[in-house]
Amino acid sequence: MRRAGMLAGAAAVLIAAGTFAMIAVDSDANAQSKKREAPLELAGSAAASPWKRYANWPQRDYSKFNTLANLASPPAPKEPRKLAGIGTTGNAANGAKLVADRTRGGSCLACHVMGSAGNADLPGNVGPDLSWIGDAGREDEYLFNYINDPRVYNPETVMPPWGSHGLFNDQEISDMVAFLKTLKSAAPFKTELDDPNKRPAPVEKRDNLDSIENPGMWAVDKAQELWKEKTSAGFSCNTCHNDPKEAFKTWAAGMPKWEPRLKKVLGVEEFVTRHAKATTGAVWLMETDENRVMSVYLHFLANGAPIKVDTESSESKAAIARGKELSSRKLGELNFACTDCHGKVANRWIRGQWLGEPKGQYDHFPTWRTSLLAIWDIRQRFQWCQVNIRADELPPDAKEYGDLELYLASQNEGQKLSVPGIRH
Amino acid sequence: MAEKPRLKLPKEAKKGDVIEIKTLMPHVMESGQRKDKDGKAVPRKIINKFACEFNGKPVFTANLEPAIAANPYLQFSAKVEESGTFKFTWTDDDGSVITAEEKITVS
Repeated sequence: MRRAGMLAGAAAVLIAAGTFAMIAVDSDANAQSKKREAPLELAGSAAASPWKRYANWPQRDYSKFNTLANLASPPAPKEPRKLAGIGTTGNAANGAKLVADRTRGGSCLACHVMGSAGNADLPGNVGPDLSWIGDAGREDEYLFNYINDPRVYNPETVMPPWGSHGLFNDQEISDMVAFLKTLKSAAPFKTELDDPNKRPAPVEKRDNLDSIENPGMWAVDKAQELWKEKTSAGFSCNTCHNDPKEAFKTWAAGMPKWEPRLKKVLGVEEFVTRHAKATTGAVWLMETDENRVMSVYLHFLANGAPIKVDTESSESKAAIARGKELSSRKLGELNFACTDCHGKVANRWIRGQWLGEPKGQYDHFPTWRTSLLAIWDIRQRFQWCQVNIRADELPPDAKEYGDLELYLASQNEGQKLSVPGIRH
Repeated sequence: MAEKPRLKLPKEAKKGDVIEIKTLMPHVMESGQRKDKDGKAVPRKIINKFACEFNGKPVFTANLEPAIAANPYLQFSAKVEESGTFKFTWTDDDGSVITAEEKITVS
């Protein structure tokens, strides 16, 4: 009964989209869409449930702040705070330590060149150079409020509200103000690489499809073994797909895709989980080795194909619009949106990390992380972005990630897949 | 992940050619210097020796030390005068030896 209802629903969507040919003969249309619809396990989560953060990631709790699924951050103050009410004097020496303390949300140097602070060791250039701020004639109150919550002066800022979000207390901010007032000379860079304005943008030159250069390629071998491994039910992928090279030569380039039965966008990884469960019975939850290698393989088979996701159907348009909206939502304790780092201040340095534009951030996923000796799919990358900016991540199969992934894929249209990628 | 060695060398060469051989052994190369969560040293486990021979004659050997990164990748060259078989061996701290072979036709 449920199935019949679902098909009727699909037909209604086709009418709405103006696809008349398919429904000219009703019974044929039903037979066709039935044949074309891949079986999917519709019940339950496609990832470990309840979701638990990876054991080697920071386990701090960020539930007081926005996530992609939930608004929780305190509202921005409307007025600057009056320094008289704070009534503290700063200790410049302690301020010098605080601005370079990487355990407190990344340190000021992550984004600012600041004269001698932190020995001018690899600062970023997201924000302005503060090396002469002590000569700029700024009032203490202005500097205090800029650190406390810069939104009172600039609602468009990408700078975290250090005080409002509790990363530093009033005394510590006063100490930093006192330190800033001592800054009156250029940063003594030890090498050109320390200067973010001279540091060359990173270029990835390794051959990511060479199995010696890229251990991510081993997943391709492993997946081909898994492909033929029969489950206790007696089925393998090979039972239905005995020519994967031909069958999947462009498939992954068209993912992610809106799935009407689940009312969300499915990426390759969640599709694999639900399709395997419904067909062979294999349990390949997202963010497990089996799922990752299968995703690498399915992307690998479509290597060279230009990314082309559905941006035309009304459901896709709505999902992309939601993804775009989510990408500008301020998240976490550091209060960053995707569009802050990868939009407003893209192509700059945050510490030693280059902030890339959205285009070029999708065609190599899943990718091998040389620094971690692990394969990361796009959902894990999303999750890390959040934990990294001190926001709680969502489970990898969250519908919000689906919307965000479709939006990202739409921005990468035409980019050719080259999977597994290789990145630091 | 598949834990077999990766080899890359030409299948064919001309007599007297100097060929390039790339080898990579998937291995954690645990240095013995790291500590676990409880502060106990993680025991050392590395590939400590690599050898390559061609038709029974040594081509290249290396002693590997704890500071070498995971998945040791060694690249070297060899001059080939005759058809034959390259044999590669990796010796683990635990005493196990992993071997691989690759044939080459020399004309």
